[in-house]
Amino acid sequence: MSESLSRRTLLTAGGAAAALMSLTGCGAVQALRPASGGAGTLVVHSQFNGAVAGADVFRAIVQQYRDTTGRSVATLSNGSDLPIVFETSVLAGKEADVAIINMVGKTLAWTDAEATIPVEGYLGQWGLDTRIEPGAVQEWTTPSGHLRAFPYTRTNWPVAFNTRLLEEAGLEIPLTSADLIDAADRLRSKDIGPVTIGGGDWSGQKLFIQVIQSFLTADEAADVFASGRFSESEGAVAGIRHFAELRDAGVFVDSAQGFTSDSMLTQYNTGKAAIMSSMSSALAKVPADRAAETTIGGWPVPPGAISTRPTVIQSFNGMGVWISENGSRKLDLVEPFVQWLFSDEVVAQFITQSGRDMNAVTDVTSDRFPLVAQAQALAAGDSVDPVILPDLLIPEAVFEPMTQATAQAFGPGTSPEQIVDVLEASYKNA
Amino acid sequence: MKFPRISGFLAWGYALLLVIPFYYLVVSSFKENDDIFTNPLKLPATWDFGNYGEAVGSADLVPAVANSVIVTGLALALTLLLAVPAAFALSRSTGRAGRIVEATFSLGFLIPTFAALFPTFLLAAFTGLFHTRTFLILLLPATAMPLAVVILTQFMRTIPRELEEAASMDGASTLTILRHVHLPICIPGIATVVLLCFLSFWNEYLYSLIIIGPDPAQRTIQVALPTLQLTTGTDYGVLMAGTVFTLLPVFAVYAITQRQMQRALVSGAVKG
Repeated sequence: MSESLSRRTLLTAGGAAAALMSLTGCGAVQALRPASGGAGTLVVHSQFNGAVAGADVFRAIVQQYRDTTGRSVATLSNGSDLPIVFETSVLAGKEADVAIINMVGKTLAWTDAEATIPVEGYLGQWGLDTRIEPGAVQEWTTPSGHLRAFPYTRTNWPVAFNTRLLEEAGLEIPLTSADLIDAADRLRSKDIGPVTIGGGDWSGQKLFIQVIQSFLTADEAADVFASGRFSESEGAVAGIRHFAELRDAGVFVDSAQGFTSDSMLTQYNTGKAAIMSSMSSALAKVPADRAAETTIGGWPVPPGAISTRPTVIQSFNGMGVWISENGSRKLDLVEPFVQWLFSDEVVAQFITQSGRDMNAVTDVTSDRFPLVAQAQALAAGDSVDPVILPDLLIPEAVFEPMTQATAQAFGPGTSPEQIVDVLEASYKNA
Repeated sequence: MKFPRISGFLAWGYALLLVIPFYYLVVSSFKENDDIFTNPLKLPATWDFGNYGEAVGSADLVPAVANSVIVTGLALALTLLLAVPAAFALSRSTGRAGRIVEATFSLGFLIPTFAALFPTFLLAAFTGLFHTRTFLILLLPATAMPLAVVILTQFMRTIPRELEEAASMDGASTLTILRHVHLPICIPGIATVVLLCFLSFWNEYLYSLIIIGPDPAQRTIQVALPTLQLTTGTDYGVLMAGTVFTLLPVFAVYAITQRQMQRALVSGAVKG
């Protein structure tokens, strides 16, 4: 390579960069213009972006809002890294006016830290008290009585059963642990995986917690998950013993401790496993042919459990609409936008076009996402017992260590006593 | 004769080890999840670019690539603009001051990225450049100066002083000597610095995330790409397609500069 070629290459590269920068400078590349954060612009920072369910709907409804009201809305977005970006923005006084994000981990501290403002005062004032499920308002309220945000999306966590695969093995949907163990045997004899689960990540952690909760009252569960004192709770110990029995009976697919929620979903979608414990947003990703042979139910009832019916994790926790300190100075812009988000029209779009579960009061169900609709009907009926999603109770620092502990629980050979030890250690060491 | 054959075999084996992940990445970008998980190394049934369209559309990858080009290009230009004269001066200095300055540049290697994050954030907020690309363009050269100055200084030290003296006798100024004597000879060294800094700037995530912030019109490719990964139900075909899309500029730059970098590595190995 000669020097002249190097020079030409450098000149070409420099010229291309200069051309691109001049394009941005003269406004030809509209997409590269920073979002305006002026006094007349509402800035919304959300997790509705990328491949997230509802991202396209969110883009559309924001555009509809701009078109119908003539108001200016700037949208910012992040994925799971939104909390850290929002928090640093708060420190610099440049945070968005509205944040749309889950109530989990770091965000639980936002209200008390005054990163966002309590919104209970606006609930009735903006006519949202009749639009939002009362249970959601309760779940989103801090111990000191402040409503953190307007609860927007929610989740159900039922169990998907592939009835075709169950019928191939001569089975019906298992309703008890005995049924489930029998089903696992028969499915394995047909070379079909029984319960698929991401034992190595949060999906395994949730199922583990769900099994334990069959032996706990809601108050006991709240105490155990907040304190981490599993060994002091008879119910928790019984639940852990039962979990180990299920594991040793081969109820979970082989090597479950190494799988993730994505591998779980793939195993179910490809018909390699017949049963999957799944949150509703994952149910929306089951393809139509598999959905047609799927029935939604609850986790089978263990012997001696407090629950008398199959259990389903139900939570009003999903994304909420938080108002920041900057937003509190632009309430005239925030109010109509939030009212628009909770309008029948917008809520219906989220349900029908993206399969989202919403906290807004609505009768709309989704034909395009039949499993999500089944899960909603199941949750509204009386054939299952709801159990809590303990995300609000487990200390933030414990989340990751606890997931590692539950991954060990899915591993063959880990005794109930060892499971208790690693669980308690995850709380002590966090 | 045996040793070259063994080393050749090992080299090809190592090359194959490097190619397998790249092959997996490319073929996966044309598949659906089910196929990726069940037949990871099998060729895709169709070479449909749908995943690429989905990735580019969902994560706004086009403006993100443009932003990465702007930030990386300007930061690289600034790095060279600062490092080349500094290296020239240090390579020609003979006193204690020069040695102290050179050692000070070397101390930059000791500063961990995380340790500088909070002070950098405060500086960005104080200067009013928080949530702008401009601050990152000014910051990245500062992070690259130790490496760039150390490499270029060593490179320029190998240039015989006689060349400089001859040019001086012909009436060349210091700037002319740098431009017409040192720079052409230093092209391999500069290419090395360009490649290393390019990789570092292009792949930078943490500062881009915090300093540039959440605006899709400003964020770089490393911040945009993770939006394709979900808590549950990630479409890995789309994610791989997005990853391949973001790797293309890296391959282009490497293809342009790799020969010069090789020359830089072996320069001085043979007397001629």
